[in-house]
Amino acid sequence: MAMITNRRRDVAVAMTLIAPFVLTFALVFLYPTLRMIALSFTDAPLIGEGEWVGLANFKRLLSDRLFFTSLKNNGYFVLLTVVPTTVLALAIALTINRLKGALQSLVLALFFLPYILPVSVVTEIWMWMLDFQFGILQPVFEFFFGKSIPVFKNPYWVMPTVAAVTIWWTNGFNVLLFIAGLRNIPTDFYEAAALDGATRWQMFRRVTWPLLWPVTALVLTLQLILQLKIFDQVYLMSSGGPFNSSYVLLLMVYREAFQLNHGGYASAIALILFVVIMVVSVLQFQLLRARGTK
Amino acid sequence: MAVQLRNVRKAFGTVQVIHDVSMDIASGEFAVFVGPSGCGKSTLLRMIAGLEDTSSGKVSIEDVDVTETEPAKRGVAMVFQSYALYPHLSVYENMAFSLRLRHAPKQEIEEKVREAAGILRLEEQLHKKPSQLSGGQRQRVAIGRAIVRQPKVFLFDEPLSNLDAELRVQMRLELARLHKQIGATMIYVTHDQVEAMTLADKIFVLKDGVVQQTGRPLDLYRNPDNRFVAGFIGSPAMNFLTATVTGREGDQLALRVGDTTFSAQTQEPIATGTIVTIGLRPEHLVISETGLPVKMEMAEELGGLAYLHTRRPEGEEIVVEWRGDEHAVMGETLKLTCPADKIMVFDSEGLRVR
Repeated sequence: MAMITNRRRDVAVAMTLIAPFVLTFALVFLYPTLRMIALSFTDAPLIGEGEWVGLANFKRLLSDRLFFTSLKNNGYFVLLTVVPTTVLALAIALTINRLKGALQSLVLALFFLPYILPVSVVTEIWMWMLDFQFGILQPVFEFFFGKSIPVFKNPYWVMPTVAAVTIWWTNGFNVLLFIAGLRNIPTDFYEAAALDGATRWQMFRRVTWPLLWPVTALVLTLQLILQLKIFDQVYLMSSGGPFNSSYVLLLMVYREAFQLNHGGYASAIALILFVVIMVVSVLQFQLLRARGTK
Repeated sequence: MAVQLRNVRKAFGTVQVIHDVSMDIASGEFAVFVGPSGCGKSTLLRMIAGLEDTSSGKVSIEDVDVTETEPAKRGVAMVFQSYALYPHLSVYENMAFSLRLRHAPKQEIEEKVREAAGILRLEEQLHKKPSQLSGGQRQRVAIGRAIVRQPKVFLFDEPLSNLDAELRVQMRLELARLHKQIGATMIYVTHDQVEAMTLADKIFVLKDGVVQQTGRPLDLYRNPDNRFVAGFIGSPAMNFLTATVTGREGDQLALRVGDTTFSAQTQEPIATGTIVTIGLRPEHLVISETGLPVKMEMAEELGGLAYLHTRRPEGEEIVVEWRGDEHAVMGETLKLTCPADKIMVFDSEGLRVR
């Protein structure tokens, strides 16, 4: 009898403790999300009610060339960032891991520093450095390509440049995750491998890489979600141009909702992006996990 | 000589942890490094393995100087305290690891792994992951990984300390059996003197980076060179009492502890009036009509025998082994004596007076 009472009380206590979070979650995430989904089936403006239009917004999307351009650019941006940043972070983490003491902390801090900068500062720094006329990086372009390149005005350069800036900005966090993962691998494993005659490459290939795989899968998935949501950097550096060559889905949502007052249509685009992120990230994480446990 | 150390020293920065150690371990011998934590036994083992640099001196394996040789080329295999089994590989792959690294043919890998698995009774476990094994099985896989390499020397770094007491006893026996079966040279590090006594052909007792004494287990037990070895080898530990030399008659040294006189067999000259320490093993103390008075405090019953924890009025605790039916009860006063040839005398430096 006492047991049952206690269990009931445990449940009551648990409910009380999580209630504030559930309520907050419902208020600021669940409710807006449901409203957005509802909105995507209407022709509502940004503020105020609209008429139910069924799937009209989604049908319109299918014939909107900018939507497909944006979708393609989102995919391109993911390709340019997710795997490169993961590989780079792993390489940097492996290098930092070999350093000792204060030097290690210093180098780690240097790599982490960009991550704490606000995006506007990051983009400002890079826009100065890459400025067509005065940018200190332009001599590098001149050296390799024989001429200065207005990277934010060139349809071929704009996405790779935004990707590079994004990697520079966010890589520190991934390095940190990898370092944490590397520190979790006991030194005994490396000593045992050294006694067994493993070369450096074999140690990486047969010990570090498989044991670091869960962290790698995590980094890849977090990056995928983050980079699909690309907005700030593009908005601040190229505003989607030139010729929509850096136009991405969230930029489109922003334009439709806040500039053209098409609440319903913007919601439809946002919903598509939401579904894409959910499906792709769940799929990717499952695939990566499956590979890891094989 | 399978393993030979000559004047080996090791310093981490300004801290010297191994002081001028020289030792010889014969081929096929089971050598045990034993000592309290921080005595340098693991460091010494790691120096033999090549996992630690040697600051000065020479390390040879099978008469080849390997002081500067990298670990893999020394022909040693090591079993780690943590077992160091790769969690992502099966038992089979863990044991095949070293062979895979040097791209051995499939046939050879299969043969060697099966053979080692046979010796260690792991045939049923080969497809499992380390996480699915019990502590004792993991331990055996770690040993299997060493066997597969057919090393000149096996190194064990406190391999049993992660096992529970019962399993430890069982694995101890298995290790002894394994040593008989494959007859390889083995060096074993432990802080547990029982493991050292039961496994070793030769024990090296270390303290503060210095080898205190080397010898066969029973020699160390019967004939320790100093107070440290005397206190470290044997369980329960030897009782130590402060005594005054009061005279000598032939080889019988008269010693006084409180109001009680003991006589110990020694040859070396020692002046009357010298303050010494005498060592009395619990198993050599006899309860009799006359002798050193102590008060009974507590008894540890082990079935066939009991350890009586007693205390002198002066405060020193004395443990007495008792084999018999009814022993004294708490608070009772006992009188203790010890045969002269069993009493060990140590000078003020802790060195044995023989």
